Amino acid sequence: MHAIDVRELRKSYPKKIPLPFRKVEWIEAVKGISFRVRKGELFGLLGPNGAGKTTTIKILTTLLEPSGGSAEVLGYDIRKDAREIRKRINLVAEGERTLYWRLSAYENLKYFARIYYVPKNEEKERIEQLLRLVGLWERRNDLVMNYSRGMKQRLAIAKALINDPEVLFLDEPTLGLDVQSAVFVREFIRKLVDEQKKTVLLTTHYMAEAEELCDRIAIIDHGKIIALDTPSGLKRLVKGEDAVQIRVRDLSFQGIKSLPWKLVIVKEDAERGTVTLRGHVSEEDLPKVVESLVKTGAKILSVEQKEPTLEDVFIKLTGRALRD
Amino acid sequence: MPLGAVIEKELRMFFRYPLRVFSAVLVGIVFLLQFVFFGQAVLGGRYSQLLASSTGIGDYPTYALIGYVLWWLSVSPMEAYVWGIRRELQRGTFETSVAAPIRITELLLGLALSWLLMDSVLMMVVFVFGVLIFHISLSLPVVLKSLPVLLLSFLSFLGFGLIFAGLVMMFKNIGPFAQIFEFSMLFFSGVFFPLNVMPRGVVLFSQIFPLTHSVTAIRAIFTGKTYAEVLPSISWLLILVLFYWITGYALFRWAEKTTRVMGYGGY
Ligand SMILES: Nc1ncnc2c1ncn2[C@@H]1O[C@H](COP(=O)(O)OP(=O)(O)O)[C@@H](O)[C@H]1O
Ligand SMILES: [Mg+2]
Repeated sequence: MHAIDVRELRKSYPKKIPLPFRKVEWIEAVKGISFRVRKGELFGLLGPNGAGKTTTIKILTTLLEPSGGSAEVLGYDIRKDAREIRKRINLVAEGERTLYWRLSAYENLKYFARIYYVPKNEEKERIEQLLRLVGLWERRNDLVMNYSRGMKQRLAIAKALINDPEVLFLDEPTLGLDVQSAVFVREFIRKLVDEQKKTVLLTTHYMAEAEELCDRIAIIDHGKIIALDTPSGLKRLVKGEDAVQIRVRDLSFQGIKSLPWKLVIVKEDAERGTVTLRGHVSEEDLPKVVESLVKTGAKILSVEQKEPTLEDVFIKLTGRALRD
Repeated sequence: MPLGAVIEKELRMFFRYPLRVFSAVLVGIVFLLQFVFFGQAVLGGRYSQLLASSTGIGDYPTYALIGYVLWWLSVSPMEAYVWGIRRELQRGTFETSVAAPIRITELLLGLALSWLLMDSVLMMVVFVFGVLIFHISLSLPVVLKSLPVLLLSFLSFLGFGLIFAGLVMMFKNIGPFAQIFEFSMLFFSGVFFPLNVMPRGVVLFSQIFPLTHSVTAIRAIFTGKTYAEVLPSISWLLILVLFYWITGYALFRWAEKTTRVMGYGGY
């Protein structure tokens, strides 16, 4: 049995409240995706904003009704056995305010322990253990509103472990965190899988995060999975192709469109007025690319050859950059 | 028990800020004074023969105090849903709670019960305050005797509120709509003036509000009437308890299903 088994899952959102006898239009957010997550696996859904990651997580955590297809979590049907699933999973939802800011960390966990039916005699010990694990024990009685973003996220993770779930869903767990907190969260997630044998499904739009962290990655774009493999398997798609990163100033967007090479913008620094382009350009072509760019009026600041990353995979598959 | 956890959480958050509790009490008292003084000014004094003949209570402050306290309590579950759920929907905490294995109905009931509890504490203070400054004569047996009717009223208020639980999940911002309801109950349920001065249509319409019957029953008990004598009001309350719980629940189930299609988020 797989921890998560998704078959042809679809989801459309109504544009208006679907009252009886009211004709409403629907927006297709997830367009028939299939994947399986093994027990003890750290599986990543990688995709740009609006790709359908959150929608997928909400369906799998039984918060949203799918429009088509089916899915099982730990062998339970998401439509029929929602409560059984909820007892065995947990999630860190997207965003900063998923917990009660007017309660302390301890009070939050106590509340969630109860609504997750944690046995009363284990409650105290479990809360203490979790708060120590995420490094919030000393601050347990402070109101969450006084916490930093990173502390709030660590508490959200502690909450997600309150019922000792078999499967954990994490929606963009490092979004908006400072570097240090993000590192903590990533290492923490990896340890959950390696040491506690949890199954984790996480979503991210950070390429490096997916590559560093996940056992397998499904790249999702416009509601469809366009590739699914291990990080090294995915990178094999661009093996032998040279990734080149060029930083320029005064780029004319028309200029790069007319070039015969596919270069996409991976970074824009509005403050400095610089743009970073990336693409697959062979060594022989490199001088010509630079020359053409200069002709369009751009000033070249740096040219670097890079190891191909998942970014290049995404560019190759979609012709677009996966940007923040 | 999960229900207890919801109540504990709500009470904690409410009583965390003493200043807010204090201001809530103050608002309750100011509102009351305003109505009582206004009523007395209109009646030209504290005692009204008209009031006595039509309701059994001739003393206006007693009459208004009972009506006012019950009105406040009757809208409490409704407010819990309209404002409490809406706040949590906007912040995202609602979804975090819904994702837990606790039943959503239990979650909602906990919310309504805690608001009712908070408002009861609040109204107890306002009631005692009213009794003292208006020199209202009270006896312990009468107070005790009104408790079962009060409990039945609470049940009906909770059912009435349930209607709004479904609506708020679907339409999110129904505060203004709910306020129209709250104020129409203030006028159509005989809180500050007797219902029978109203047109017959209004009187009939007011029967659908649990508050109307609750106020009638409790005022009657305060004038020394027996349970048997207030049986019509009690029967009405029983019927409305059934009616609102069943309709409210059905409406809520449907709204929940629709919400699971749209998403609980702030969209
Ligand atoms: N509750 C909703 N109602 C209507 N449209 C929605 C809702 N939630 C998401 N969408 C739309 O569905 C698409 C996918 O969104 P989402 O799953 O949040 O993507 P991601 O998490 O990958 O950024 C987007 O186009 C988004 O605007
Ligand atoms: Mg998202």
